[in-house]
Amino acid sequence: MEFMPEFRVLRPASVEDAVAARRDDPDACLLAGGTDLVPNIRRGIVAPRTIVDVSEVAEMRDIRERDGEVRIGASVTLAELIEHPIIRQRFSVLVQAASEVAASSHRQVATVGGNLCLDTRCVYYNQSEWWRRSNDYCFKHQGEICHVAPKTVACFAAYSGDLAPAFIVLDGAVEVAGPDGNRVMPLPEMYRDDGRDHLRLGPGEMVVAVRVPAADSWHCGYVKARVRSAIDFPLAGVAAAVKLQAGSLAGLRVALTGTNAMPLLLQGTEDLVGAPLDDDAIDRLVALIPKQIQPMTSTVTPPGYRRRVVANMTRTLLRRLSAEARR
Amino acid sequence: MNDAPPAHAPPRLVGERVPPRLVGERVPLIDGVEKVSGAAKYTADFTHADALVGRIWRSPYSHADILDVDVSEARALPGVVAVLTGDDCDVPFGILPIAQNEYPLARQRVRYRGDPVAAVAAVDEATAERALSLIRMRVTPLPAYCDPKSARAPGAVPLHENRPGNLERDVHHQFGDVDAGFAAADIIVERSYACAEVTHVQMEPDASLAAYDAERDRITLHTVSQVPYYVHLKVAQCLGMDTSQIRVVKPFIGGGFGHRTETLNFEIIACLLARAARGRVRLKLSREETMITHRGRPRTDVTVKVGVTRDGKITACTCETVQAGGAYGGYGIVTVLYAGSLLNAIYDIPAVRYDGYRIYTNTPPCGAMRGHGSVNVRYAFESLLDEIAREIQTDPIELRRRNLLRAPLRTINDLMVESYGLPACLDYVEQASGWRERRGRLPKGKGLGIACSHYVSGAAKPVHWTGEPHAVVNLKLDFDGGITLLTGAADIGQGSSTILAQIVGDVLGLDLSRLTVVANDSRITPKDNGSYSSRVTFMVGNAALEAAKNLKTLLVAAAARKLEAQPGDIECLGEVYRVRGSQDPGLPFGAVVKEALAESGTITVKGTFMVPRKYQGGSYRGAAVGPSMAYSYAAAVAEVTIDEDSGRVTVDKVWAAHDCGYALNPLSVEGQVQGAVWMGLGQALSEEIRYHDGLPVAANMIDYRVPTIVESPDIEVKIVESVDPNGPFGAKEASEGALASVIPAVANAVYDAIGIRLRETPMTPDRVLAAIERHERAQRRNRPGRAA
Repeated sequence: MEFMPEFRVLRPASVEDAVAARRDDPDACLLAGGTDLVPNIRRGIVAPRTIVDVSEVAEMRDIRERDGEVRIGASVTLAELIEHPIIRQRFSVLVQAASEVAASSHRQVATVGGNLCLDTRCVYYNQSEWWRRSNDYCFKHQGEICHVAPKTVACFAAYSGDLAPAFIVLDGAVEVAGPDGNRVMPLPEMYRDDGRDHLRLGPGEMVVAVRVPAADSWHCGYVKARVRSAIDFPLAGVAAAVKLQAGSLAGLRVALTGTNAMPLLLQGTEDLVGAPLDDDAIDRLVALIPKQIQPMTSTVTPPGYRRRVVANMTRTLLRRLSAEARR
Repeated sequence: MNDAPPAHAPPRLVGERVPPRLVGERVPLIDGVEKVSGAAKYTADFTHADALVGRIWRSPYSHADILDVDVSEARALPGVVAVLTGDDCDVPFGILPIAQNEYPLARQRVRYRGDPVAAVAAVDEATAERALSLIRMRVTPLPAYCDPKSARAPGAVPLHENRPGNLERDVHHQFGDVDAGFAAADIIVERSYACAEVTHVQMEPDASLAAYDAERDRITLHTVSQVPYYVHLKVAQCLGMDTSQIRVVKPFIGGGFGHRTETLNFEIIACLLARAARGRVRLKLSREETMITHRGRPRTDVTVKVGVTRDGKITACTCETVQAGGAYGGYGIVTVLYAGSLLNAIYDIPAVRYDGYRIYTNTPPCGAMRGHGSVNVRYAFESLLDEIAREIQTDPIELRRRNLLRAPLRTINDLMVESYGLPACLDYVEQASGWRERRGRLPKGKGLGIACSHYVSGAAKPVHWTGEPHAVVNLKLDFDGGITLLTGAADIGQGSSTILAQIVGDVLGLDLSRLTVVANDSRITPKDNGSYSSRVTFMVGNAALEAAKNLKTLLVAAAARKLEAQPGDIECLGEVYRVRGSQDPGLPFGAVVKEALAESGTITVKGTFMVPRKYQGGSYRGAAVGPSMAYSYAAAVAEVTIDEDSGRVTVDKVWAAHDCGYALNPLSVEGQVQGAVWMGLGQALSEEIRYHDGLPVAANMIDYRVPTIVESPDIEVKIVESVDPNGPFGAKEASEGALASVIPAVANAVYDAIGIRLRETPMTPDRVLAAIERHERAQRRNRPGRAA
């Protein structure tokens, strides 16, 4: 690991204090588990003077249920999420997705909020200062070029969180706190497809919790493509939620990760509702994917593979869920 | 493993004839407690309040002539104690005396992105970091060549003088009558294979701690080396110091796998900085820097052609390899020679032609890596054997059986094979994997594959030929009744200190509690060439065996004096010496030691080992690489499952049989073989160094995908003991030989599972999926009446 610069660490006890701390220093970084932030600091990608550690803010630390809706604090660790009885019982797709993140030691400290707000990743970006300087930097940090697509002016760093697609198919929403007050927004609205700036959060805003409505009549799953069964970020990931009524599709949500600068709620699935979820419907659904995703050479694995694998995985996942739903 | 006997068998009672045995026992590593408790000190753990922080400024260019390196601002920064550039050392180094073309800090030209250009010693990390940011280099860029094709193209600028076409070394060897061999063949198959560049990823990143004693003009270097002796020589050479003024200490080492079998630039830089700063400098490299320092297995293109008769007897073989060697010589010549010489000594092949090309490229230097030189060629050859077996409709194990050697023999390229356990290895993996019953009957997407491999047990010719013995071990016995084993052999985690202690303890019939191993302090321990080419167990083990026997002779003589008997009548039972056959209680060990010391004072005995001339190979150019006194043999069967959605290959199980001659420590042998299997799986499935304009894109442990424990299959290790006539207790190497068979075993299993031959490593999901789709397209094309 490389040189760790000096910074000041604040440990607010409440969301209000955390928001206030960042109002005073707009460049202050939020720290929870640190599994994303610390490597980036050591690589010189971020150089915060102040770090606001929210890992012990009480209202961000628990999982609560009210009227069927579950509220998961942003500082809940992935290991806690996986072990929580309500989540295990009623939101197994979250358990699946969280269990696929990194390795068990990471999951002990990595948090729900951290995974949702994960910085976008790119092989030209997640490198040392020496490496990036030798490569003339890039749009995402200090540079004037995208090495993934040198003729464009966009940044194609990929969003690589595993939890977001699972929360999206569960119709999750995020509670956001900021200097101008609190708000709740559907999770997909928190993201934009720009690798440089993929979070639609205002200055000083932070994710406090995720809310998930009851999903008892849905069948959900998450699958992830990667080379190793641990450590690796998703080359592509797909979550799906299926609701059948009398053999016909009553609801269908599919969300993807790793393919764009943001997690993607697949559009056009509503056209399939009302029909049976058979191979024909699944083929039609899979056909929606290519036009909506844009994997680029932001990983060491070629984008063509990620296109193919996301289609294959989606098909297999939906067949599985269809079978489950009919059981 | 539950039925293993206890590691420390209780001393046998004096009435029994046999003293306790230590060899052949499952003895835990003697330094295991320190390692698991965290007490072990590795180089980076040596903290000194007065140690300056060393850092290296590395070239951002792949290939350029240096106009000037401006370090004036860095030098002027308060807290900076020394800043060095190539101007501060004009002595090139390199592990091979014939290929010394690397400077500790680049002079006149940089040849890869990451080439050290300047170095800083400062009072703390922040100052050192700031100083690096103030260094400027002006250059004239040169065309950069990151692959052999462009480096060999007409008109390419040579990286080094006198190396037109960037050819570091070409080898053209022919043994036997190749043309006649192919003429006698019924079937000739030729295929090309490509292996990606891979690196060691040893647990411990690079680090050196150099202390300069300004009063006496001396240097003490703690460093992470597998070869402290060679480091000693090169530090003296580059600093222009007498070797007597340098002390090299090897602390605990977190693995090597070949990364550390040569003196590395940072070790010399640390010493240069310490001398310039007139103090102590700690130079720790990041994982990225360690992976740039590299010296791993080069990208290799292999074309193999094999002729066989209809009944499966190999008649001839030709092989061409092209290796992308990186920017400097390193071990390159040895690598390209091993690749050819080890085509032999595994199967009975009457005629072999080898053409090898080692090419300079503008990438970090490659070097030695576990299975040095043999692995990629073995992958190609064993894959080709599988293809041939299908062609002639013969079981792949049976095909190999038809081509086994009959030891003892001298191969066509002058290698001596005196023990050969490959037949037993094949028998075991065939039986244990259920090969005959299960192969071809597994469900869709599952397959079994077989391959074999071998490796040297110590290079018969050392890197620096001095005429000295290959190994020396000293034993010191003093008034306290403790025996100190002094060795320069570098235990880098492979367990060599444990093996040496077991050998000495066994000969003397003593428990390990009387033994202390002191390894690797050039002031104290005898010189050793180091831990490379799997030489330590065989060579240093033999030296330890001789030293122990010499000590035993002295002790027996002392006991004879005391017991007023002839030495030939003395029976050594370890803790007791007595007259053979007598009912006497005998002399306790302490009394024997007292008597022995009364004669001479503190006893120091020595054991040496020398490889006899007949094992040192032929007299042709390049004959020095490949000869060894013994070769290990291995066979592996891999069982795989392929997920056709993702193209992922899961290795469900590996059966690995390894002929290590004799298992001095079966626990340790099993661990080594498991490690070799695991490392082979990494190269087979996921590990790959790639460059973006010469910048390594995967110089970190996320993008360079070493298998995790989750990927580790169940590994069933079978130790085969052929009992080598020259190894200590019959032992041969136990760590390198098993690796190479794993890669083709997996490739062959993939073919068995899905009928697709992958001729490129690593077999990553994207490559597998692309191959599946190509295969399906081809099948659709070939199916009549199904045109779109």
